[in-house]
Amino acid sequence: MLDYLQNLALAEWVRTSPSIFAYTMILTLHAVGLAVVVGVNTLIAFRLLGLARGIPLASLSELYGVVWVGFSVNLASGFLLFIAEAHDMATMVAFWGKLFFVAAGMVTAVLLKRLYFSDVMNVSAGVVTRTGRNLAIASLAFWLLALIIGRLTGYPDLVDGWLHPGRSY
Amino acid sequence: MADFYSQWGFLQTFVNAHDWVWPVCEMVHYIGMSLVVGIIGLLDLRILGLFKSIPCGAFRPLVPVAMTAFAGNLLTGIVFVTGTNQGPGFYLDNLSFQLKLLCLLLAFANLIIFQFSDLEEKVYATPAGGSAPRSAKVVAVVSLVLWVSIIFFGRMLMYNDTLLLLLGM
Repeated sequence: MLDYLQNLALAEWVRTSPSIFAYTMILTLHAVGLAVVVGVNTLIAFRLLGLARGIPLASLSELYGVVWVGFSVNLASGFLLFIAEAHDMATMVAFWGKLFFVAAGMVTAVLLKRLYFSDVMNVSAGVVTRTGRNLAIASLAFWLLALIIGRLTGYPDLVDGWLHPGRSY
Repeated sequence: MADFYSQWGFLQTFVNAHDWVWPVCEMVHYIGMSLVVGIIGLLDLRILGLFKSIPCGAFRPLVPVAMTAFAGNLLTGIVFVTGTNQGPGFYLDNLSFQLKLLCLLLAFANLIIFQFSDLEEKVYATPAGGSAPRSAKVVAVVSLVLWVSIIFFGRMLMYNDTLLLLLGM
């Protein structure tokens, strides 16, 4: 399966083309998407935790449109980056860790919409319920972890050194 | 330039002595990037007429958060430029880095225009449902374009060859 993905002409192009529109541009788009997804989710969490109270709570859920745009960009760019180096990525602990926390972050966003922002009474009264606050804290934690562990995918040797302190490289 | 490097030489020694310094600085840099995009980017979109139910002034308490995030990125940026073991030329002679700095300077000029004209007051006085002045929309578009460019050229640093190839250099 990994071989199949990695040998696709598309994967080959992303990996080896010297063009700026191959690996480089896809990686850049992934960084912009990251900033949008993490930045907007963080802003929503900050508001729920009491910062910038001038932002009406009901308006906050409109911002999820921006999150979904950023997430779509990163799903597509992430897929291309993955197939380009399917073998290396799939054997990396940090990669799966990052994927887990990205999924947890998106699930938390959906839960916030379903369990908190759908609670029109409290939202329009400007009340952040315990559910809203707890999900906001979870959201902050998951995105921070996704970002930290995601960055570690660039340092497989360092991570291996931490996981297997005895082994020498 | 040689003076510059001899002054910051202690950083290079520190960065090279500890393999975790670079990735940790990268994580801080990414967090800062996300905060700037999440706060300034959304304010720009609001000025342009999206999410009109949010009064523009509601973003005001978040601006110091973005400024702090930016200060963190300036510091970690100095660590990257001075700490790299690839020598002083790696960043300073890198076209992507030079373009990133240019965009940062332009973003700074744009901010100065916003702060020292009457635009800032007019924007923050825009109530829910209201439209920001047309001239503020120009500043907002310029800000959005510049911040995306800053991320673009920042990520492109490590792949400067592909940019040179595109430009036929």
